[in-house]
Amino acid sequence: MNSVILIDDQPITNFITRKLLELQGVQITISEFTNPVLALQSVLAQREQDNMIILDLNMPEMSGWDFLDKLVHHDFAPNIVILTSSTSGIDRETAKQYPFVRDYIIKPLNKDKISELCAKHCR
Amino acid sequence: MQDISKNAAQLYRITYEAYSKFANKISRCSTLEEVGKVSQTHLKYLINFHIIRLTIQQDQKHLFFSLTKDQVDYDFKENSSLLEHEEELYKTEIPTHSRNIPMDWVDRNMNGGQLVEPEMWAWIFSNNGRKVTVTLISDLHKPFKIADLDILKLAIDCFESKFHEIYLSHLLDNKNKSLTEALSVIQSQNKEIQDIVKNQKQIITDRTKEILEKNQKLLHISALNSHNVREPLSRIQGLIELIPYCSDKDVREELIPKIKISAVEMDEVLQEVITMATQELDNLKVKNI
Repeated sequence: MNSVILIDDQPITNFITRKLLELQGVQITISEFTNPVLALQSVLAQREQDNMIILDLNMPEMSGWDFLDKLVHHDFAPNIVILTSSTSGIDRETAKQYPFVRDYIIKPLNKDKISELCAKHCR
Repeated sequence: MQDISKNAAQLYRITYEAYSKFANKISRCSTLEEVGKVSQTHLKYLINFHIIRLTIQQDQKHLFFSLTKDQVDYDFKENSSLLEHEEELYKTEIPTHSRNIPMDWVDRNMNGGQLVEPEMWAWIFSNNGRKVTVTLISDLHKPFKIADLDILKLAIDCFESKFHEIYLSHLLDNKNKSLTEALSVIQSQNKEIQDIVKNQKQIITDRTKEILEKNQKLLHISALNSHNVREPLSRIQGLIELIPYCSDKDVREELIPKIKISAVEMDEVLQEVITMATQELDNLKVKNI
């Protein structure tokens, strides 16, 4: 894993995720975006396959779904973990349609969830 | 050679032969037209007549049948009416024999001028409760005698039963026809009902689908609402999660201000959601009334 990219329109959420990752001992680069449009530009420019993107769904500039669709459109499939406060079953089912979505985590993120995530994906 | 008119036994045999031939042929007829043809050919061997006319009472109506050498007329409907002497017969039931002849009627059937000293005979018979009048026109060339009455009666029996049979088969035909019509009406109504049922089923299917879709949408809206509330709450929870791992200074300067911001935001969202939910409930109430 090269780096972790956090995309959430709420900077506090990105702050919490970064802190929890650091507490977990993650030492690779963690970059943050509160605007998914800019995040998409950056991700597509780098086209780094070995990154992990932690993506929110409900964002004003571009929804998480649109972000995923753009990736599909550009034929790029990085590792995506959805981090959302939505408890809707529909959202969870929709996420399954994207094979490169590795995980689906419901907020609040805590130490247990982050350590499980790292155990699964940060190798 | 002996004069045949003097030999009663032989005459009787010949008449009997002629009658059984006539009766046989009549019994095989199935329409009035056929009865007319058979009578035209065979009746003249049994009795002398210029015109024979029958009226048969049938359910308040009369069947008319008349026969001359050249012409057969019959009418099952009510187009013809009774002659004056026939109406008398139905009333009084007294047979008549007179030279007073309704020539209008005779002329409608044949050329009345050919008749020499014409006579009119008229009887009323009752066959199985059905009344039959018989009118016969004879003259010097074709004389009718009282002795001929027996054979005439036999022939009338024969006619009457055949006419009754044809009349009943007409009724039956008509009933069958109405039954067939009724059946076709029932079938078409059945089809209409089936179409309505089918249509109803389609409506129910459509409405059910609509309701399911609406439910799905409502669930999604409620999920969105909860998402909006949970968003700042989850931040507060996440920040609290961090407290044990941060220094007091970091908690005071970084976490608590962030918790405050998130709490304010959560309060705003909650107020918004409560207002919206109250409005939706109000809308539902109006709809229910």
